Amino acid sequence: MSRRLSITLLTAPALILLLGVFLIPMLLMLLLSFQDGQQAFTLANYSLFFQDTFYLDILWRTIRVSLWTVLATLVLGYPVAMFMAQASGKMRGIVTMCVLAPHLISVVIRNFGWVVVLGEKGWVNEMLMAMGIIETPLRLLYNELGVVIGLTDSFIAYMVLALATSLYAIDPSLNKAASILGASRARTFFSVTLPLSLPGIVAGTTLVFSLSMSAFVTPALMGGTSVKVIPVLAYEQIMSTLNWPLGAALAFLLLGSTIVLVSLYTKLIENKRYKEVFAS
Amino acid sequence: MAKVYDVELRNIMKKFQNNVVVQDFNLQVEQGEFVSFLGPSGCGKTTTLNMIAGFLEPDGGDLLIKGQRMNGVPPYKRELGMVFQTYSLFPHMTVAENIAYGLKLRKVNKAEMKERVDRVLSLVKLPNVADRYPKQLSGGQRQRIAIARALVIEPSLLLLDEPLSNLDAKLREELRDELKRLHHEIGVTTIFVTHDQEEALSLSDRIVVLNHGFVEQIGTPLEIYNQPASEFVHTFIGKTNRLEGEVVEVDGDRITVQTPEGMLIHAAKQSRSFTPKQKVVAFVRPEKIVLSQTDSGDAANKVKGNLQLASFLGSYTECEVKVGGQSLSVKIQKLIDKAAAQEAEKGIYCHWNAEDVLIMPTERG
Repeated sequence: MSRRLSITLLTAPALILLLGVFLIPMLLMLLLSFQDGQQAFTLANYSLFFQDTFYLDILWRTIRVSLWTVLATLVLGYPVAMFMAQASGKMRGIVTMCVLAPHLISVVIRNFGWVVVLGEKGWVNEMLMAMGIIETPLRLLYNELGVVIGLTDSFIAYMVLALATSLYAIDPSLNKAASILGASRARTFFSVTLPLSLPGIVAGTTLVFSLSMSAFVTPALMGGTSVKVIPVLAYEQIMSTLNWPLGAALAFLLLGSTIVLVSLYTKLIENKRYKEVFAS
Repeated sequence: MAKVYDVELRNIMKKFQNNVVVQDFNLQVEQGEFVSFLGPSGCGKTTTLNMIAGFLEPDGGDLLIKGQRMNGVPPYKRELGMVFQTYSLFPHMTVAENIAYGLKLRKVNKAEMKERVDRVLSLVKLPNVADRYPKQLSGGQRQRIAIARALVIEPSLLLLDEPLSNLDAKLREELRDELKRLHHEIGVTTIFVTHDQEEALSLSDRIVVLNHGFVEQIGTPLEIYNQPASEFVHTFIGKTNRLEGEVVEVDGDRITVQTPEGMLIHAAKQSRSFTPKQKVVAFVRPEKIVLSQTDSGDAANKVKGNLQLASFLGSYTECEVKVGGQSLSVKIQKLIDKAAAQEAEKGIYCHWNAEDVLIMPTERG
């Protein structure tokens, strides 16, 4: 059997699966998004989106919540990734396990856990009130903050692992070199570690952004009815209103926005120097 | 007033957990001196260098640089230059930016910065690579840039951590000569860590031989080579023949040693004194032995043996000669052709002078 044939045969099951459950349904949904109630061709589903600020507001909120999530995972995840990069092999394994362990539990259950923790009678509010820091409970749920907290919890592992991978690749003697040349630890971080971890930052932020843009469960559970994002809206159109064409159009608008934003972002970061330094 | 040295180590001690890795390290380095730390891996040479640089803190003793006590001072405040085994150039900076890094931190103005970068680039003979990235350079070029980066800040002390060991043989030799030239030109006080005795011998004003965290000997290359303080120093610096035996006669300066097989070894004056019946080890370097078809000649030692093996290695030939139960390694300049080799297999004489024999007591200390 030729090598080519064996490769084709070996990848065939995956290709068939991908074609059957991903590509064909996607194409059907795309067709659906251009239909009206009578199955005739129309652009109304898309034009509606751009005419009604209601939809644009929701898209902007989706992007905003995703950007906050990216920022929160980056800021909270970077120290963890740095710790992993500097730790011994055993410690590294333990931290990786801790980062990944929450993913062994369903996201639904984790989100309800947050509801218990962050609610008006949750322990965060109870504690702050007991300590006299606040008088009335803080609103930590069913608003954008609640969604960002939930999404950060869901996706921080992706950020940490992406950052850690690029931090592992940095030669530790570079820190020594910077230090002996006169750079303090903070200076070394900003002039050596941070720029050299850029590929990890790009990978982590892109990944978390895309995941946040399309997240459904967390915004639905922790945002309630007041924080609608595009995936929740599309779900409602399809499942409650039974307006499949509009739901499909919303899904493709979300996909399109994510692709455009991510490409702009990477284009911006991956300048000449970036390519020169990090090209393999 | 006490003399101020560029570097002074006083009873430096370092341990990792309960393992003492450096002990009783005392050293004074004069201004402009080139001192090598030589020893096998795990001997404490790199640990000591890291203490001088400030990456490790000594657990005992005092470290002084230019008379200032440096214990507890972080590396970035020590004003040192350092070159690492792995080059350690910043991959996201051009060559010029790498070299200017230390100048930028010292707030040197733009014009002067450019001038100093250019000057140091021509000093390492790489004037045209300023805008390249490190990965576009060869290993030897990278190490030259690393040296330039260390020198541009005009450090009070240059630390070299096995800078040649990642290079191939030819480049290593080339860069070794380059280091020698640079040191000659700039005269910066230098501490060089290496496990390669040739590098240490050729570059250093003085060599510190280390073993298991202890200083075995401090001396000039000649002293280290000719008057080793211990068996370790002698065997670590170059190849040698080791012959165990017993002192059978002490006649003034002359000492005779007999091996268990009955071979007699005549030695001239030693720095130590010996008594008859003492268990000793006699050493003769392979390059001190001469091969001859006859036993005529002035050499004090003449033994007959059979050639076992001759390996032609370009500038010299390495021979194994079996004498009794003992195998002697001999290094000769002359070529041995097939006929001569066959002749020598039947019998050949090894000659060496009494002055070339080094005798040491078997038990150390």
